[in-house]
Formats: sequence, structure tokens, C-alpha cells
Amino acid sequence: MGFLGPNGAGKTTTMRAVFGLTDLDAGTVRWNGALVGPAERRRFGYMPEERGLYPGMLVGEQLVYLGRLHGMSATDAAAAARAWMERLGLADTERAKVESLSHGNQQRVQLAAALVHNPELLILDEPLTGLDPAGIDAIAGVLAGQARSGCCVLFSSHQLDLVEDLCDSVTIIDHGRLVVTGKVDDLATSGPRRLVVRVDGDRDAAWARQLTGVSVSDVDRGAVRLVLDEPADSESVLKAAMAAGRVTEFVVERRRLSEVFREAVA
Amino acid sequence: MKQLIRVIIIVVVAAGVLALRLWRRGRRGRPARPAGTARGAALGRLTGYTGLVAAREIRQRIRGRMFRIGTLVILAVVAAVIVIPALNSGKAQTYRVGVVGALSAPLRAAVVAASRSIGTTVRLVPEAGLAAARADLRSGRVSLVILDARAVEVSKPVSATDTSTSGQLVRAVSTTLGVDEAVESARLSAAQAARLASARPLPVTSLQRGSASTSGRNTTTVGLVLVFVMLTQYNAWTLIGVMEEKSSRVVEVLLAAVRPVELLGGKVLGIGLVAFAQAGLVVAFALVLAKAVGSDLLHGTAPVALASTLAWLVLGYAFYCWVYAAAGSMAERQDQVQSLALPLSLPLIFGYVISLTVASSGNPSTFFDVLAYLPLTAPFAMPALVSLGAVTWWEFAASAAISVVCTVGVARLATGIYRRAILRTGRRVRIRELVSGLAR
Repeated sequence: MGFLGPNGAGKTTTMRAVFGLTDLDAGTVRWNGALVGPAERRRFGYMPEERGLYPGMLVGEQLVYLGRLHGMSATDAAAAARAWMERLGLADTERAKVESLSHGNQQRVQLAAALVHNPELLILDEPLTGLDPAGIDAIAGVLAGQARSGCCVLFSSHQLDLVEDLCDSVTIIDHGRLVVTGKVDDLATSGPRRLVVRVDGDRDAAWARQLTGVSVSDVDRGAVRLVLDEPADSESVLKAAMAAGRVTEFVVERRRLSEVFREAVA
Repeated sequence: MKQLIRVIIIVVVAAGVLALRLWRRGRRGRPARPAGTARGAALGRLTGYTGLVAAREIRQRIRGRMFRIGTLVILAVVAAVIVIPALNSGKAQTYRVGVVGALSAPLRAAVVAASRSIGTTVRLVPEAGLAAARADLRSGRVSLVILDARAVEVSKPVSATDTSTSGQLVRAVSTTLGVDEAVESARLSAAQAARLASARPLPVTSLQRGSASTSGRNTTTVGLVLVFVMLTQYNAWTLIGVMEEKSSRVVEVLLAAVRPVELLGGKVLGIGLVAFAQAGLVVAFALVLAKAVGSDLLHGTAPVALASTLAWLVLGYAFYCWVYAAAGSMAERQDQVQSLALPLSLPLIFGYVISLTVASSGNPSTFFDVLAYLPLTAPFAMPALVSLGAVTWWEFAASAAISVVCTVGVARLATGIYRRAILRTGRRVRIRELVSGLAR
């Protein structure tokens, strides 16, 4: 699940509230219908926006320690830490201090720290910022894998295209209030339908302006972008276009997540 | 010995109460406990998440190079304090006294007795004449010269208030010779003269019992230095440890899993255990070494003083660690730590200095008695009083009880401040905000 909102909307505050790191002014935090307490939080994983690990502690020990703080036995924690280091390409850093690692590797350790106890809810605050494309792919792959294996993964990001590719559903907040929530596919097909039509030789798209229930939002070198009202159907638009000339392009456009986002927080 | 046993019982009870308190705080409202299987998990099993935090703290501290070097330095200093006086005491005790002309046998015996009464011994060296005697004085081969049993000559003037052993010796010898001259000029009978010569000081009784020996005082001074150095060091660990968890932001990850009181309690418990292991090592080392070199550091009231010093190291740490932890949670950078640490260390320094003064003067004032009951200064003042023999066991227990009660209060307050301050980043947290936050 993608968790979106402009800067200062309250994303980080919301995530911190889930872990009891900020006092609630009002409301409750619930998971599967029940109030969240210390025991539930131990089954959650958290990657804060400002990364934090003991700089002078060995990577392997740190992961085991965090696993144990989440209620794992020493042997389970050690096995899980090793598995995650393996999976995230950190196997040779087990005996290294966190401060000696590169930024990208520190980020991976931080992710491993959130995952080591196999949480049922994984909350990550901007897990993809500051990474190179390979790093983004690696972490995105892990997140997708976790989600497939039944873990609820919620992360915030400003990289809307990535969120659109990765997430089943998104939630958008603004000024501390929920403005949009839903499946990515539903959001993409929601709202007025859009068509992009290009008719050979008609650079001004004069034909489109006479249609009822259709408004022209943009004309770009012969390609006209149309917004269809509810009763209008795309077939009648196609007929009108074919009547006007040779149709070289006719596309039903999905709404990009970035458009949904801009409309939601405008 | 009885007093020693009492002191030990009090220490054990106080530590037990404190540990129980911490343990119960750690357990409250926590349904699940982690199951530990590997080594180092015994503590974890005992106290749950608090124990896990403490175990990590202990591992990290002991592994640190600074800790190992620091322990070696402390051991070296303690060894020097014990060995050097013991070596000196062997050779500095005998003074050579030059004798010009005749010195009767009873007078020789009187001079030797006088030197023994001030805790030293003399060897009488016959001199060929005044010139030879003065040459020996100048070269330092003799400390003083007796001229014909009627005058004393030294190389440097000795004032009436000089408390050094050589100064006391000079005064004792001159007094002995003066008495002898008076006896002779009074023309007493042989029996009367003999009775005068065998005069002994009358016994002195005191209202308070158990006056401190010099060795007891030395032990007190060493103990005070030990408490001061260790309290300062362990408090600095707590302060900086908390500050580092905040500044590295790891505290967000930790507090997502454990409650603030578990994290804080585990931290001070872990540092405390390392601290007492270190203090125990130092004391055991000191005892063995003192025994080996025959130091007089542990005679008289010294064992009781030592036991009470250790007790107050525990109590003092238990009290101060919360204060320093709360301060650490308010700071994020090293420079902020310094500005916080200075005001906090003032009561420590005050208690330390005034206790050192009292320990060396051996004369506690009423004000000092009051300080021995205040948890801020008691870690220094109470052991000082114990070594002076100026407190009864129930006074000691009362002071310890006050300290334990105050520790519980301070721990509550500090946990409240910590909970609010540790997650606020960006700037130093003002005390006023925290207090108003606590009042809400």
C-alpha cells in the first residue's frame, strides 16, 4: 500500500503514531479491529524516515538484537538475521560496523532491521529515497515479495510512478486528513474518461468542438485530449472523428497516479 | 565486625529493593516475554526486555577499548596509592640523632621512648665533636644533634605548629631533655626522679566511640576518590549513551519495539552492573595488594569504611543515573551534553570536596551531618562519617532509606522526562516544556 501526501501532510507523524512514538491528540490506532498495544507493535516492522542504527555495533549483532527485542528467541533471531543479510546482499558485512558501510548498504541493513522478525505489518517511511536504480529495484523487489507472502506493506514515497507500479492500493492524505484511498486500478479508471484522438490533417481539431458531453482539454500538434462526461460514449466520438478525416490515433487514457495525486491535494 | 555485618545487610536489602522495583517496572503491562536459549540470555530470561537491553549494554561496554584501558589505568593508580606509602613507611621511620658529649643511659632510653610515642624510631649516633656534628647535620646524615644533653640543634628551623614527623621528633626530644634538666635542678631523690621518668600519659575517654585511626582516614580518602571517579565516569556513560541513542536515531527503531521505561531501565541496569563489576575488581585488587605489601590501609575502622563506601557507590549510582539519563535524553550533540553535565556535577563535586576536608580534619560539623542524609551528597558524606566512627548503624540505615525512597521518586520523574524528550529532535529540549508536559 502506498502512503502519499505532500510534504508536511502528516505521513511521518501517522507512521510514528502507529508505533506509539508520538502522543495522539485524538483517535485510536487499530490493527485488525483491535487497539494496538506493545505486544502488537512487536509484530510490526518499522523503518523510520531518519535512519537509525547503532553506528558502532556490528551489523549481524544489531539485527539479532532487534529481532530479540521483537520477541524472537536467540537462535531464531540469528537465523533470520543471516537469511536477510543473505537476501539483501549483506552477507559479507556481518562482522562490519554499521558506520563503515556505504549509504546504500546502511539502507539495506535498516530494511533488514525492519524485516528480521518477519512482521505482519511493515511500515516504511520513504524507503526508496537516496538509492541508485539498482538499490531501488532490490528493495522494491523485497517489498513486493513480502506483500505476496501475506505481509501488509505500507510505505510512503514521493516517487509516484514507482508507487503506481508497486502498490495494489494507495492512500493520500493532506493536512492530516485522508483525501483519497483505493485500489490503484480503480483510481486509474475512476473519474471522467479521457481519450486522445488524432485526425490526419486537422491540426485544430475543429470536429471535436461540436460534440456534446465532450470537452477539449488540450490540443497538441493535432492530438486532441478529450474529457468525456458520464453519458457520452467513446464510440460516438470515434464516429465523429472518422467523419472528420483519417484517424491515426485513438487511445483510451488511464489516469496516472500523479494526476490523481495532484487533483486530490489541489 | 558486628558493624561490618550490619552494613553489608543494609547494602543487600537496599540493592534488593531497587532491583525488585526495576524488575516490576519492566514487567508491568507486558504479556509476552522472549524466550532465550543462547549464552548471555540468563539475564534476559530474568528481566525480559529490560534484561535484553541491559545485556547488550554490558556486551558493548566490556568490548570497548576505552573500558579496558580505563580499568587498567584505575588499577595502576590504586596500586600506586597502596604500594608507594608501604615502600616509604619501611625506610622513613628511623631517624638518626647525633650525640655530642655524654648522654646518660636513662636519658637515652627517654629519648627513644619519646620517639616511639610519636610513632617513629631513632638511632643515636655518637659524634666526634661539634664541628663534625654540624657537618653531619648539613649533609643530612643526622636529623638533629643533642649537645651535652642540654641543647638540640637542627639544620632548618622547626615551627611550633609543624606536624611532620621530624618536627614532632625535634619537639619531643627537646621536651624530654627539658624535663630531665628540671628534674636535675629540682634536686629530687633517686626514687622521685625514677617515678617522674616513668610518667605515662593518662587515658583519654571520649563521648563518641571508635575514633578514627590515621589508616582509617587514608582509606576514607581513597574511598572518596574512588566513589567520585567512578560515579563521574558511570554517569558520563549513562548521559552519553542516552544521547547517542537519540542522536543516531536508533531510539526510534528501539522504541517501536520496547517501551521507554524498559529501554531506560535496561540501560542504567546494564551500566550499573558493569560499574559494580569494575568497582568490585578494583576493590578486590586493592585488598589483595594491600595484604601482599603489608599496607596499613586496612587497619582500624578501614574495613567498615570500605564496605560503606561500596554501599554508597551503589546507592549513589542508583540515584544519579536517572538524573543523568534524563539529561542525556534532552541533548542531541556533544556540546549540549557539556552544558547539561556541568550543573549536574556540581553537587557531586561539592559533596566530594567537603567530605575530603572533613575526612582529613576528622571533625564533622552539624551541616556535614545534614549533608549525610541528603541523597545528593550522602554518597560521600556518609562513608566519611562512618570512617570517623561518628554514626550509628541506624543512622546509616536511615540515610540509605532516604536515598532509596528519593531514588524511586527521581526514577519516576526521569522516566517521564525521558519519554517526552527522547523522541524530540532538532534542538535541545527545554526543561520548562518537559515540566509543563509532566503536569498535564
